[in-house]
Amino acid sequence: MSDAPFIDFEARWVVVPGASSGLGRAIALELGRCGARVILVGRNQEKLEETQALLPVGRARVVVQDLSSVGVIGSRMREVSREVGRLYGLCYCAGVVETRPLASFEAARFARMIDVNVTAGLEMARAVSRQDVIEPAGGALLFVTSIYAWVGMPGQLAYSATKGAMIAAARVLAVELARRRIRVNTLSPGLVHTPLSDGALRLLSDEQVKELEAAYPLGVGAPEDVARCAVFLLAPQNRWMTGADLVVDGGYMAR
Amino acid sequence: MDQEQALRWIAEVFEQEPGRLSSSTPRSEVATWDSLGVLTLMAALHEHFGIVMTTDQLTGMKTVGDILEVLQSNGKLA
Repeated sequence: MSDAPFIDFEARWVVVPGASSGLGRAIALELGRCGARVILVGRNQEKLEETQALLPVGRARVVVQDLSSVGVIGSRMREVSREVGRLYGLCYCAGVVETRPLASFEAARFARMIDVNVTAGLEMARAVSRQDVIEPAGGALLFVTSIYAWVGMPGQLAYSATKGAMIAAARVLAVELARRRIRVNTLSPGLVHTPLSDGALRLLSDEQVKELEAAYPLGVGAPEDVARCAVFLLAPQNRWMTGADLVVDGGYMAR
Repeated sequence: MDQEQALRWIAEVFEQEPGRLSSSTPRSEVATWDSLGVLTLMAALHEHFGIVMTTDQLTGMKTVGDILEVLQSNGKLA
């Protein structure tokens, strides 16, 4: 047995799209605590810089990038890699959510959601896993999805579909990229208080919110609860776990 | 497209550093030119040049020069 700590990123670079707030910010900070250097990607420079300020000096870079512009993601990541060197991993936390039942489904809105929740994630995966970008010894990709990929939640039709798509896609990537020692996993959180989820909850009545929260045996989660699981899945020492989805939901799906 | 541009394009397809490949580079020295790499090359030839090849034809290629020959025989390489 080694005496080395179980999780230590040893200054490896991890790209975190969606790091301006919520789960993405919490994961970026936890990665930093575990020795990673982090590339913070998102649209809002000010918020990304807030995240950067919470990390040790020199351990984070800010890359302002609108993830709905999927066509430029590859070249942007190549530029970043040329600046900082080889990358180790990706934790794709970016996403948009919109509560709409089937009756108000709109194809154009769904397409925009797919762009950010799925296509941009796959473009990021392609950019980071390139032979001339990722570390020669391999790396890890992680997509933050949702328990709504697994359970039906009224009003979350489009969101659930995109998250389910990402889980299915990640399994393919896990098999395709194993030959290059790149692990690919997904993380499905339950309800966690973040700006994204709180925005969706505002559409519900107080009674509906209470009912939803009561469905979590361990209560509603905090971003840090998800961040620790994300770091576990990404950790270089976690060498044999790929193609898996880890549910972290305070017992919601165990009922 | 001249040979230098073609080599850069092939390097991009196989995710190699530009300038790393020459016409004599064997397939065995290009780590990403495996069975999935063959499919990637097939899609890239079709998408960028309209060249349609079978997996058998592509699997028979042994060097980067073989890809250059395909480009040349299809009028894509000056």
